[in-house]
Formats: sequence, C-alpha cells, structure tokens
Amino acid sequence: MDDKDQMGTTTTMLATVAAFVLVLLAFYGLDHFIMAIQGLPLNLDLSPAG
Amino acid sequence: MNNDTVQITGRNRIVLWISLVVALLFGSGGMNIAYAADAGVGSDSVEARIAPIGRVQIEGQEPIPENVVSKTEGEEKELIAAPRPSRGDYPDIGVSSRAVVWVLAQMHLFFAALVLAVPLFVLVIELMGFKTGDERYDDMAHEFMKISLTGFSITAIFGGSLALALFVLYPDLMGYMMRVFGAQWLVYAGLFFLESFFLYTYYYGWKAMRYGNLKWVHLTLGLLLNASGMTIMVLSNSWATFMMAPSGVNEVGAVIGNIWEVMKGPLWNPINLHRFIANIAFGGAVVGAYAAFKFLSTSDPAKRAHYDWMGYTSNFIAILAFLPLPFAGYWLMAEIYAYSQQMGITAMGGILAWLFIVQAVLIGTILLAGNFYLWSGMSRTEGSVRYQPLIKYIAFVLVICFLTWVTPHTLMLSASEIAELGGSHHHILGPLGIMPAKNIAVNLMLVVTFLSFQLYRRSDKIATVSWAKAGNALLVAIYVVAMVNIIFLGVYYGYFTNTVYKVGSSVAQVGSTLVVIIAGIVIDSLMFRNAKTLPSHWGRIPDRSQYALFALPIAFTWLMGLMGYVRSSVKTHWHVYTVMKDNSPDNFIPTIGYAGNMITIVTVLFLLFVLFMFWIANLSATKQSKPVGALEGGAG
Repeated sequence: MDDKDQMGTTTTMLATVAAFVLVLLAFYGLDHFIMAIQGLPLNLDLSPAG
Repeated sequence: MNNDTVQITGRNRIVLWISLVVALLFGSGGMNIAYAADAGVGSDSVEARIAPIGRVQIEGQEPIPENVVSKTEGEEKELIAAPRPSRGDYPDIGVSSRAVVWVLAQMHLFFAALVLAVPLFVLVIELMGFKTGDERYDDMAHEFMKISLTGFSITAIFGGSLALALFVLYPDLMGYMMRVFGAQWLVYAGLFFLESFFLYTYYYGWKAMRYGNLKWVHLTLGLLLNASGMTIMVLSNSWATFMMAPSGVNEVGAVIGNIWEVMKGPLWNPINLHRFIANIAFGGAVVGAYAAFKFLSTSDPAKRAHYDWMGYTSNFIAILAFLPLPFAGYWLMAEIYAYSQQMGITAMGGILAWLFIVQAVLIGTILLAGNFYLWSGMSRTEGSVRYQPLIKYIAFVLVICFLTWVTPHTLMLSASEIAELGGSHHHILGPLGIMPAKNIAVNLMLVVTFLSFQLYRRSDKIATVSWAKAGNALLVAIYVVAMVNIIFLGVYYGYFTNTVYKVGSSVAQVGSTLVVIIAGIVIDSLMFRNAKTLPSHWGRIPDRSQYALFALPIAFTWLMGLMGYVRSSVKTHWHVYTVMKDNSPDNFIPTIGYAGNMITIVTVLFLLFVLFMFWIANLSATKQSKPVGALEGGAG
C-alpha cells in the first residue's frame, strides 16, 4: 500500500469513528430529550424511578 | 421545458394564492381556525378534555338519574337525554342487522378511503409533472384518476345504502345522532355537491387545462377536490369518535355543548391522522394492483415499461405512507387508554388482543411484499449489483422480527398442555409476546424497509460530491446506532424497569426510526445532487414481482376490515359509549371466528368491485373496429 492509499484509509477510518461518536452522542441526547419531555429521567442504574 | 408552462404573471399568481386560501378555508384547517375563534380552543385543560363522561357511578355518591328532561338555569334550551331503546324497538328483518350494517359500512369505508386517497397523490404527481415538464407524470396522474372515477359512484351507492340501513335498523340511534350533530349533516351533504363539482371539472378538464397558466387553474381544482374530500372525511370521523368517546354531552347524553365541542372529542384527531395516512397507503396499493394487472396482460415492451413505472410509483406511495402509520396507530391507542383504560384493555388485553397478532401477520405480509418488490425492481439497473449482497441481511432481520411480532403472549392450551408447559407462558418465547419485543420488531422492520427503499433509490446513481465517503460513513453510523438504540431501549426499559418507562421508551424508539428516515432522505438528496445516473430499464423486472403488488391491496383490505372491527368493538354493549346502551340482539362483541368470516366476505366483495372498476377503466379505452360492411359504405 503506498502513502496515498494509506492516507485515504486513515481518513476513512477517522471519518467513520467520528461519525459513530457523533451519532452516539446525538442519539443519547435524543433519548434524554424524549424521556425528559415525558417526565422520565434517563436513569442508567436499572432502578425504577421513584 | 416549454416556457408556456412556467410563465405566471403577477396577477395570476395572486389568483392562485387566493384559490389556495379558499381551498384551505374549505378544508379542516380553516374550519379549525373559525371554530377556535368562537369556542376559545385551547382554554380548556388536557384533564378536562380527556375526562371520561357518561353514566359512571362513583362509589359513595348518588347514582345519576338516567332519563333527565330538564332545563338548566338561565337557559331556554331543553336538555333531552339519549334514548334508551328496548329490544322491541329494533326492527327484526330476519337476518342480523349488525351484519347488514357491517358489510355496507365496510364497503363504503373501503371505497371512501380509495377515492379520498387517489386525488391526493394524483395532485402531487401532476404538480411534479408540471414542474419537471415530464409529461409521463401527467399521463400517469390522469390514468390514476381514470381508475378511481368509478370508485366515487360506488362509494356514494354504498354510502346511501348504509344510511338507509342505519335509519331503518337503528332508528333510535340515528335519531339521537341527528339531534346531536344537527345542521352538520347538511354541511356534510353540501360538501358532496362541492366534491362532485370539483371531481368532474378536475377529471374532465384535464386535457382542456393542460399547459401554461390554465394548468394552475387545474391544479387548484385538484386542491379544492382534496380539500372538500378531506373535510368530508373529518366530519364523518367525528361521528365514529363521538360514539367511542362522546364529548359535548352530559352523563345521560343530553347535548350541552356546541357542535365544535361535540366534534372535538379526544379521539377525533388521532383517527383523522390515522385514516389520512392509511388511506394514502391503501390507495397506493390498490392502483398498484391495477398497474400489475396491466403489466402482466400485455407483451408490448412500451406498455410494460409504462405499467412497470406506474407499479413502482404506486408501491412507493403505499410503502412511504405505510412507514409512519404504526406511529399514528400508537398515538390513537395512547389516546384511547388516556380516555378510558377499560376501553384500552378491551382492545389490547382482552378478547381483541389476539387480533393484534393477526394484525402482525398482515403487516408482516405487507412489509415482506413491499421489500420483495423493491429487491426485484433492482434488476432494472446494473448499478444495483453494489447493493444486492445486503438483501440477504435485510431479509434475515425482516423474518426474525416478523416471527417475534407474531409470537403470542399466552397460548390457547388444554389443561394437560398447561401442566406440561408449567404455565400458560412459554419460558423462552413468553417474553417475546409482550409489547417491548413487538416494539423492537416493528421499529427494526420499518428501519430495514426504509433501507431497502434507499438502496433501490441509489441503484441507478453514483454520487459525485467530494464528501460522499463521509456521508456514507455518517449514514451507516445512523443505521447501526439507531438499531442498537431501538434494541437497547426495548430490552432495558421494557424488561428491567417499571411500566411507565416501558411506555415512555417506546416513544424514543419511534424517534430513532424517524431519525433514520429523515436523515436518510436528507443525506441522500444532498449527496446525489448532480449525481451520475446509470440507465434504468423500465419493464425489465420478473413477472413474479407483480404478485407482490397484488398481495399488498389484499393484505391492506383485510387489515382495514380487521382493525375496523376492533375500533367498533371496543364500545362493547354501547351504541354511544357510556351514554346510550345498545339493547339490540347483537349487543355483544362477536367472536373472532365470526368476525374473521365477515372480514373475509367484505374483503372478497371489495376485490370483486375493484376488478369491476379496473374493467370499466379498460372498457373506456377500448374501441370497437368498424364492421367490414360499414367500411365499404353501408351497414348492410
């Protein structure tokens, strides 16, 4: 693999990782928002809301 | 593009906008505004809006007198309670009155759904043709209207028969409904005249108003046709929702509110939305069957190409409208539960719960058929080889989700089978029978169906934008994260926390699905702008794919009949829930077997009438060749 291909692969990898991080954060925010507007905090400790 | 088609003078533009405003005023939007102004809409609380009314006696309180004929203080108007007919007040015609009304009402609703939906997407297709200058759109829109034209007459015939049957067989109920809705019936009748006027001028004026500014006049006629049709739909929906969740009347059914308060019951808008979307999906499916029928019955390559394209467009409309439909259904059920938990439990937790398993089978059939058609359609272009390897994974997800969705919670078992199983729930499959599993399944099925649709759309295109790789990475991330999120929300909140979270998280699941659909449309429309287009060969599709287009309307029709039975049955032994009891011999929820037979009869009947409609559409295009004798100068 020459340097150009190597750079292209690295860029694609970085773009993919960045896309996944971005989308994960977006969906976490979406879950938070939708549960919050229903008065349900997004708890992650497996305990029911009081 | 012909310049004549796009030149609109300032004056004409004003005329167009005035027409649009008039159309909106005719539609429910305008009506809402008018009513909101005099009724102070929005001033009442949500609790007041959804508070159940009716003859509900609270423990420790005096029972409500049932036959009140009284005057309220300071008011002249007499309050007349809902009638309380006895068994003898229902005419006996020798056959079940309910069965007669059932068949007529269902047939009327099937055709009404069809003729309300077709002009909606015809208008959009016509506008697309006008904007792009591609006359094929215009021809196709005209052909869609031609198919549905007979449907308008059939709708009216069944509507008239239904009204007659109701007045003869249920005179007290209809007398009460007439009193409650008053002059609204006249508005309803008046709208028929308007709709007929717009229908005939729209259809028969098609060729006369095809180009230039006249096309705008024609489009406006189409808009007015849709506005009058939609208003008819929302008015008649209010009768059905009043019977399920009455408003504007007191505990004994006496009218105490104005017509707006009677109409705006808690279930009105959920039903309006659900029927609006479902009608489009249903209409698309029926005209798709017409295209398939024409495709299979010709060997002319040009005609096959035309009807292939028509079938694709119909399937596109049906599936696209179908994708948000479950969410509108969720909203309707949520409002039913909010209005009356008992009604909700009757629908989803009692005898009718089993019907939702049948519903799952039918929806699964629709999604499998829709996906199969899209996969088959990929053969139209060579570019599809890039995406074909993904089809098997989509099929795998669809089948697993379908099986999950049709898994019942409880089984009909004998005593020995229960003993052998160790209870009425299977220890492994039991958890798949409850809503969290179903929610995961339905959302994943919708996501992968959209994926099929997106892959199909991409098949004949190659993106030329510089950020194509990043865009694809983003799209893959959205699909993967959304699917993981849907599964996580369903499993975590569905099985490990309390019920309020279970219900709440289903909204977030729906949100995830909608994000995929919206993001997919936005990213693709930006990414494939100025894309390189590969040739598409319309008509190059296996014949077997056309049978998917036949499966769709059959499943849709059966499904509509089934869910109509559920919607009507949740009233149990009430004509008008909690205010007017049904004392007829049929005042019970019919058994599932009986209902299944009835639904099958109306489905077959509807399909026969649809075949008649197709035949009539064909007949109008058939020309008899002149007899030989006549050619020679005389009839003989």
